[in-house]
Formats: sequence, C-alpha cells, structure tokens
Amino acid sequence: MIVGLFMAVVAGALVGLQNIFNSKVNERAGTWPTTALVLGLGFLASLSIGFLAEGKRLFALQDMQTWYWFSGLIGVGVVVCLVQGIKRLDPTYAVSIMLISQIGFALLWDSLGWLGLEKVPFSWKQPVGVLVIAFGIVVFKLGGARRAEPA
Amino acid sequence: MKGILYALLAGAFITLQGVANARISRDIGTWQAATLTQFTGFAAALLILIFVRNAEWPRLKQVKPLYLSGGAFAAVIIFGNVTAIHHIGVTLSVAALLIAQLGLTFLIDGNGWFGAAKRKMGLPQFLGIGIMIAGVLILKI
Repeated sequence: MIVGLFMAVVAGALVGLQNIFNSKVNERAGTWPTTALVLGLGFLASLSIGFLAEGKRLFALQDMQTWYWFSGLIGVGVVVCLVQGIKRLDPTYAVSIMLISQIGFALLWDSLGWLGLEKVPFSWKQPVGVLVIAFGIVVFKLGGARRAEPA
Repeated sequence: MKGILYALLAGAFITLQGVANARISRDIGTWQAATLTQFTGFAAALLILIFVRNAEWPRLKQVKPLYLSGGAFAAVIIFGNVTAIHHIGVTLSVAALLIAQLGLTFLIDGNGWFGAAKRKMGLPQFLGIGIMIAGVLILKI
C-alpha cells in the first residue's frame, strides 16, 4: 500500500514537472518535434536505466504478444487528442476534462479488470470517491483566476 | 462538443497507457515495457514529423537545455506508475498521481519557479487538493 502510493506520488510529481518543461519546448518547436524529442529521450533513459538494472536481460523479450509492439502508439494518441481538444476548447477546460477522464477510466478498468489486470471489488465507495476527486479537480482548475497552464 | 470528446479520449488514453504498461510488464518486465513502448512511440512520432514536414527543428536550440531534458523523466514515471498499479490498482494510482501532479504545479506556479510568472495560488487550488485527498480517503476507508 505505502510502496504503491509512494511510487504514484513520485510519478505524479515528475509528470507535473515534465509538463512544464515540455510546454516550454512546445512553445518554440511545435507539437511533433516536441513529441519526438520527449519520447526519444524517454526511450534512451529507459534503455540506460533498464540496462543498468537488468543487463542483457533487457533485450530478452519473451512472452511477447503482438499488440505489445504497438502499445507505444497510445502515447501518440494522447498527443493528438490533447492538441485537438485544446484547439477547440479553452485549454483550462480541455485539461480539466482530460484529468477527470483519467480518473473515471481508471475506475472503469479496475472494476472490469480489462487486459487481465486484477479486478478491484466494486463498492459504492469507489464511484463516490472518484466523484469527490473529480470535484476537487474542478475546484483546482476552475476556481479563481488562474492562467491556463499545462496540466 | 468535438473538443470535449477529444479531451475525454486524451484522458482515456493516458489511463490506458498506464494499464497497458502494467499488463506488458507482467510478461516481459517493467524496464523492458518502458523501453519498448517509448521506442515505438518515438518511431511513430518521428514518422509523423517527417510526414508533416515540420520545419521548426532549429528552434529547439532556443530552448534551455534543462527544459529539453523533460522527456527523460518518463523512465521513472513509467516505472513508478506500473509499480503503483501492481500494488494498489489503477484508480488509487491515478488518484495519487494526479494529486502529486497538481500539487507540484501549484508549488511551481505559486513560487514562480522555472520562469513561470509568479501568480497567487489561492484558496481554490488549496481546497481542490484537499478535496482530492478526501476523495482518496473515501476510496480507501
């Protein structure tokens, strides 16, 4: 429990920092050069740390299913949808909807146990908790006069 | 309306990405999953870049090197996210991740770090994070 929460908090803090850095690159270089750079560096970093941690085992890809080769495209889907969303909506609204969608879909996956993940038993607490979190996001993003910042 | 749909899809994809990585890592390992998915994503983005012939490459030089390095965080982000999903499930992982993400944004914007124009982080942002934490407590009690 503590390990899981700690890892999620570390990941979230880095996502926040990365979004700020990436938006600075994006301002100058545009969407696709930024995306290619960000994913390329992520690849190099994963490769380096992975090699340090696992050695040659990093390249022993056993039990591969075909779709594993294409899962990286999801990241491209994120960029396309976010750019299109921001183009059509106020960025603050687009990002708010995206964040709420993230937590909503998380509950859906836990409850349905799609992709063979462990099903988390569904109870009334979960939709209530998720609704409260979504409300917190709305208060954070739309409360008071704030500039539209990257999520 | 279309904008809302795109924003909803973006969020769904972000969550799907975490879930897919968690699933793949069970078969081939976490660093393997991170390396593989970042590589295929990079290859696709590069292809798109060539296809759209975006001529703004040189402008990367105008960006501070520190900001260019943001992508490298993804290694730790994916590792953390996957480990969290294995330990506490998707909902709690995403909830904790979002709280930390917005919390750090709050800190950086409030203090004007990294060249962010310093702005008053008000009660609404403070309250928002508090409400989100309350939501996590509801999930867990």
